[in-house]
Amino acid sequence: MEINRLPKVILIFLTLFLIQEALISQINFLVAGFSLYLAFFMAWVIQDQRNSAVVTGFIAGLILDLSPTLEAPFGLWTLVLTSMSYLLASNVRAALDAELSPLVMLSVTVLASSFALILFLLIGAILGQEVGSASYLTRSIAGNALWGALLSPLYIPLAMKLHKVTLTARQR
Amino acid sequence: MATRGSNRSRLLWVSLLVTSLFIITLDLRGVSLLSSLRSGTQSALAPVERLANNFFSPVGDFFSEVGNLGRSKAKIEKLEEENQELKSQVILNENTLAQLESLKGVLDLAGKARYKTVSARVISKGGTGTFSETIVLDIGSDSGVRRDMTVIAAGGLVGVVKSTTASSSIVLLMNDPSFRIGVRVAGKQDMGILLGQGDKSYSLQMLSATSAISVGDVLLARGSSGDKPFVPGVPVGRISYVENTVGQLTKEGRVNGFVDLNSLSVVSVVLSAVAGDPGDALVPKAPRPAPTVTVFVTPSPTPKE
Repeated sequence: MEINRLPKVILIFLTLFLIQEALISQINFLVAGFSLYLAFFMAWVIQDQRNSAVVTGFIAGLILDLSPTLEAPFGLWTLVLTSMSYLLASNVRAALDAELSPLVMLSVTVLASSFALILFLLIGAILGQEVGSASYLTRSIAGNALWGALLSPLYIPLAMKLHKVTLTARQR
Repeated sequence: MATRGSNRSRLLWVSLLVTSLFIITLDLRGVSLLSSLRSGTQSALAPVERLANNFFSPVGDFFSEVGNLGRSKAKIEKLEEENQELKSQVILNENTLAQLESLKGVLDLAGKARYKTVSARVISKGGTGTFSETIVLDIGSDSGVRRDMTVIAAGGLVGVVKSTTASSSIVLLMNDPSFRIGVRVAGKQDMGILLGQGDKSYSLQMLSATSAISVGDVLLARGSSGDKPFVPGVPVGRISYVENTVGQLTKEGRVNGFVDLNSLSVVSVVLSAVAGDPGDALVPKAPRPAPTVTVFVTPSPTPKE
């Protein structure tokens, strides 16, 4: 990732973090909740080159770890999002067409968000975190996937547009 | 070339993973810099959350009401009639009224037990991805709120203060998976531990093999040394199910909490329990069944004209 792209990426993810913590948290969703931050991150990273994706994953994870309501140790989201970004940008992206259709974007975003939540829980459990009942976890992950799918027409185009904005003319 | 590029990105990935693990290790070893980063974020977020709450509180429940659309049609007709009646009355802010009602309830509870409390408005709650059940209050250390203070609502226990900044505090709700509280059965001295499960019901583990619990028993907070984190006597919940498994050493059960943690607007933080343990004084009274009015009609012949 070019150094001049970094401030833009940090600013975008900081704004998104603020929206997630201050606005999205105010909404009582019907089933569990929705993490716009995670969904947006997945939609972003799938468009990125491997190196940029990994650095973005690390930065986005560090920002998410700042969440004051988080019970997990600092750095856990950094670990999860760095791993997810590499997985998406290398393995998943390689298996997909160069042009990502909206349906592919939606599927990848929803599945990757769910997988990231499961990974977060697993590593958290290994580190001694309490994870709650199976019904609670299922509802949380399924609820996030449901809202991720329903609200995808809002955040996927936004992620694509903002991703393009951060690229240089040559990279586009 | 491709292999070299791939190796370079793998090296970058591994080094960032190692950095993440290093940060986790530092946090688990209690490096204060990392925890102060989070409390710094909380200080910065609190004014934004307060502002957002002012705009969002009337519409925050929109997404949770989506499932009721089908049932809403009949309701709409009824509500339209009611609306006409209401127009003739003084229009009051429903949101403020609801908050006033909860505040009255929680002050009643605190007054009965003679708890010294400070009331607070809920300005935000923990987001998805944190897997922790928390709320953010609009008061902090400036109002005397400290870590490990009990938080109550009109029905009973809400949770415990997890961290504070000057003007806000984060409360760990009692349904959080990491939440544990010592409880006793009202009217008896049987003790147990209530565990948060992430959802509306809680798990109860009695401590003694001879404890006798039954469905409907009320559980009260046992209290902690120095009243931190829990003041004694706060209603916690009612037993809804008792497990009767052969070979079990102690009784276990399920409990329904008294407070709906999804619709909290006003809560109180207990600063101190002035009168000590209130005993069973706070046990909620069982709802009195509404009397059924029976009308007897004696038929009488219609008078002939």
